[in-house]
Amino acid sequence: MPDWREEIASRLSSLNLGSTCEIEIIEELSQHLEDRYHELVSGGATDDDARRDVLIELNYENLLAQGRLEMVRLAAPGPVVSRNSRQTFFASLGQDLRYALRQFRRNSGFAAVAIITLALGIGASTAIFSVIDNVLLEPFPYKDAGQILFLRLHGSIQGPDEGRQGYSADELLELTRQNQSLESVVGTTDDPVLYKHCAGVEWLYGADMTPGSFEFFAMPALYGRVLQPADYKPGAPPVFVLRYKTWKSRFNGDPNVLNKVFVLNGTARTLVGIMPPRFGWYDADLWIPKTPNPGISTGYAGLPERWFILARLKPGVSRSQASADLTGILNRLAKLQPQNYPAQFQVFVMQIGHSVTGHVESTLYTVLGAVGLLLLIGCVNVANLMLARATSREKEFALRAVLGAGPARLVRLLLVEGLLLAMGGAVLGVLIAWGGLKLIVATMPPDSIPAESVIGLNPQVMAFSLVLAVLTPLIFGLAPALQAARRDLNDPLRDIGRGVIGGFRTARMRDAAVVMEVAVSLTLLIGAGLLMHSFLALRDVNLGLRADHVFKTMLLLPPDRYKTAEQVSTFFRPVLERVKAIPGVMDAAESSSVPPDNSRDSKVEVSGESPDDQRQAQVQNVSETYFRVLRIPFEMGRGFTEAEINDARKVAVVNRKFVSTYLSGDDPIGRRVKVMGLESVADSLREPSFEIVGVVSDVANQGSPGYGRGGLQAPIEPQVWVPYTVTGSGEQVLVVRSTQTPMAIMDEVQQAVWATDSGVALMYPDALDHAISRKLYATPRFALLLMIIFGSVGLILVTVGVYSVLAYTTAQKTHEIGIRMALGAERANVLQLVIIEGLRLVLAGVAVGLVVSLLLGRAVEAQLWPGVKPYDPATLAITVLLLLTTGALACWIPARRAARVDPMVALRYE
Amino acid sequence: MSELEWKKVSAELLILSLVEARPRHGYEISKLIEQRSGGAVRFYVASLYPLLYRLEKRGWILGRWVEKSGQRRRRYYRLTSEGQKVLASQRRGWQAFVEAVNRITEAEHA
Repeated sequence: MPDWREEIASRLSSLNLGSTCEIEIIEELSQHLEDRYHELVSGGATDDDARRDVLIELNYENLLAQGRLEMVRLAAPGPVVSRNSRQTFFASLGQDLRYALRQFRRNSGFAAVAIITLALGIGASTAIFSVIDNVLLEPFPYKDAGQILFLRLHGSIQGPDEGRQGYSADELLELTRQNQSLESVVGTTDDPVLYKHCAGVEWLYGADMTPGSFEFFAMPALYGRVLQPADYKPGAPPVFVLRYKTWKSRFNGDPNVLNKVFVLNGTARTLVGIMPPRFGWYDADLWIPKTPNPGISTGYAGLPERWFILARLKPGVSRSQASADLTGILNRLAKLQPQNYPAQFQVFVMQIGHSVTGHVESTLYTVLGAVGLLLLIGCVNVANLMLARATSREKEFALRAVLGAGPARLVRLLLVEGLLLAMGGAVLGVLIAWGGLKLIVATMPPDSIPAESVIGLNPQVMAFSLVLAVLTPLIFGLAPALQAARRDLNDPLRDIGRGVIGGFRTARMRDAAVVMEVAVSLTLLIGAGLLMHSFLALRDVNLGLRADHVFKTMLLLPPDRYKTAEQVSTFFRPVLERVKAIPGVMDAAESSSVPPDNSRDSKVEVSGESPDDQRQAQVQNVSETYFRVLRIPFEMGRGFTEAEINDARKVAVVNRKFVSTYLSGDDPIGRRVKVMGLESVADSLREPSFEIVGVVSDVANQGSPGYGRGGLQAPIEPQVWVPYTVTGSGEQVLVVRSTQTPMAIMDEVQQAVWATDSGVALMYPDALDHAISRKLYATPRFALLLMIIFGSVGLILVTVGVYSVLAYTTAQKTHEIGIRMALGAERANVLQLVIIEGLRLVLAGVAVGLVVSLLLGRAVEAQLWPGVKPYDPATLAITVLLLLTTGALACWIPARRAARVDPMVALRYE
Repeated sequence: MSELEWKKVSAELLILSLVEARPRHGYEISKLIEQRSGGAVRFYVASLYPLLYRLEKRGWILGRWVEKSGQRRRRYYRLTSEGQKVLASQRRGWQAFVEAVNRITEAEHA
């Protein structure tokens, strides 16, 4: 009898019907042809005739192919009955949804891990992106904020972030008048004000603004008005505008304060406007109109007035053109007053955000990199989970396809599952982002973000990570599904699921994912380890003083009553006596600043040394008790005596750095140092030459990191201490050593001050060790904290990743393990087998991670303490060990489960 | 209804009516059509099966493999409830058409 199957198959092959479908059709049609053939033969036809007739009928009008094609085409629109197709679509979608939920309930571990992984990725990246966007990219609410520039005068021998940002009134006026490149130029200068009210005296941080400043920022007042050109005219009534935050905190948001008169630093000023919440220029409480005057003018505390200059470029002018233009102008001024300038300098034109965020910028960008890696780990984890799961479901997909589910339907089911996971992850991720942002804002170092920036969740960033998180499960869930849909459906059904899991290709993909994950996590951990090492090194730096049990506060003296040295010391002598009488107080001193803050820079000349323009030192005014209160040890000579202070003798103490830098180690005692800076203060000295009587060890004077200062990483600068009684100019700080907690004596110190002069206010009272920690350690601690958080999250994700892959493969191998054990394998062997398989991946990841870390080392080197190398062996060893331990733990749980397999149960399984 | 549609509907009507009483396999259906029409109407394999599959796809008939002892399995088609409704409506339509034709041709005779 002829083989009808072949005849039919050759006619069906062009139709691409899918194997199951085809097999059944061939069977049915060949039966028909066979029946027909028998009928013809039994009716008397010869075999050949019967065969020919049957084939003619089969080929009749070639209807078979046409009809089948028509049927395939018809299949899409669905049944031609009353129920409309839309209803069917939604009904089956609902079915998919219910099915997916049931799947997750049955497999809650998988769903939870996938959702948490996604959520961590979304949450962390959104939180950190939001901070970066709000702080670095769009911090200011002002008109064309991105175009606002500030000027930094950078000496050719200064470090990249150094240089002065304050300009004299002369410089400001000349720059404004002569420049060809700037559209508008405005200046701001400090003007802390004392403000008296019924309860006593308070101080507010005032800022003087040049004409046109408010037009420059172009923000209208919330209530009242901003400063106008008329306010700057000679004889105009004195006015000021108030910050929203200050209005709320000091005046309870009372609208009646508008147009009231306040006595600020002895001048009656009318409050004409309250600014909207985001206006916080210079982080000031209030803004006062002031026109800069040519000639030497002194500002706050009798110190030379310094203006911070803002500008916008003229259209078509580049920043480097402006830089050249402005450098030219100041070079001309430098010829007239060379003492005010470095020998060689350049005016840098820089974007405004940088002036505030300079020192956290690199931290934030490092963390951004870390978060990117974290998001990557998260996505890889989810991808891995989806791949593993999809592989284990191949049989299910095949069965569904055989039962009539088309590829579209399968894909939709997976889409629904992926979407459900993504949505769960998204909701949780938004919560994590929200909480994480609050945590970051709370731990951010003070003064590191512009006063104007409001850190909130950034919708675009959120959308970005949500899209990423939604796409990940979809893509990685679908890939194997599409593959399955293309495959011969009978294969997975025939394969009873023992031995090789998911085929070698998927297995290799899964392994590669784990290796990458481990590598990324190791990179993060090494970063965290290096930062921690750096931080410890930073904490080990000797500041040159004992900061514990010291209370410090700045004192704001009414400028109209305290101008001369005589006036200032008449105030301080009784204050120091009263403070020393407070129970528990050991000693008290007056100073113009406290470490690690820098004191005023001054040019200095040393007797016996040739004059040199580059000789600079910091000058600090102190009382005789200062070195004792801070426990600053003397290396040579002696400190000031009480008589020297009282008589304002011209004696000086210098630090070791001063001796080594300017006296090449010669005996400094008896040499004279001329402090030129004291000639230009309001209460100036005619002959500022001091006899050196003592040398102290180096005390931190590099200032907080940022603002053109290096923090503890920068070298100590030469420093000179002179009696505070030689000039009435300079800031005034009270330092008190006490046996009690420093802040416990604050009220008594305040009483002592007010008993002497009720018009003096305490500024920034604090415990010295706390203030130092805030200034020096907050930023690196912040960086470290973030890296530790991200490193830990990364480690958790890796653990989950290794565990899930291993748990999955082990579960698939239950049968194999059962056979091995039935054949005599010991539990220990099984344990070993599984752990080795897992550790092999972890080790490969560690190797890759080490290479990546070493390559990236250069990038993080700038963030590290100079002594800490990116390939620091201790850090590398500890992190690798940590990762290996965690990896082993992740392997051990599934391994133990495997070792507990009962061979009989395993063999009966299936 | 166009002529083409009438042809299609009549072919569908034949198959639906044949599986109404009991499930039948494809060869049986084709034999019955040939016998009952006295050889006037014939469905070859190339036209019958596409039609069967199309009706099945629409949900009017349902094919199922049935194994009877001592025989190889065969695919039997039975009428679904959906198909029942379609059959009833096609029957009514067909009857109306035949009656209309009859009225026209009888009028000529009278």
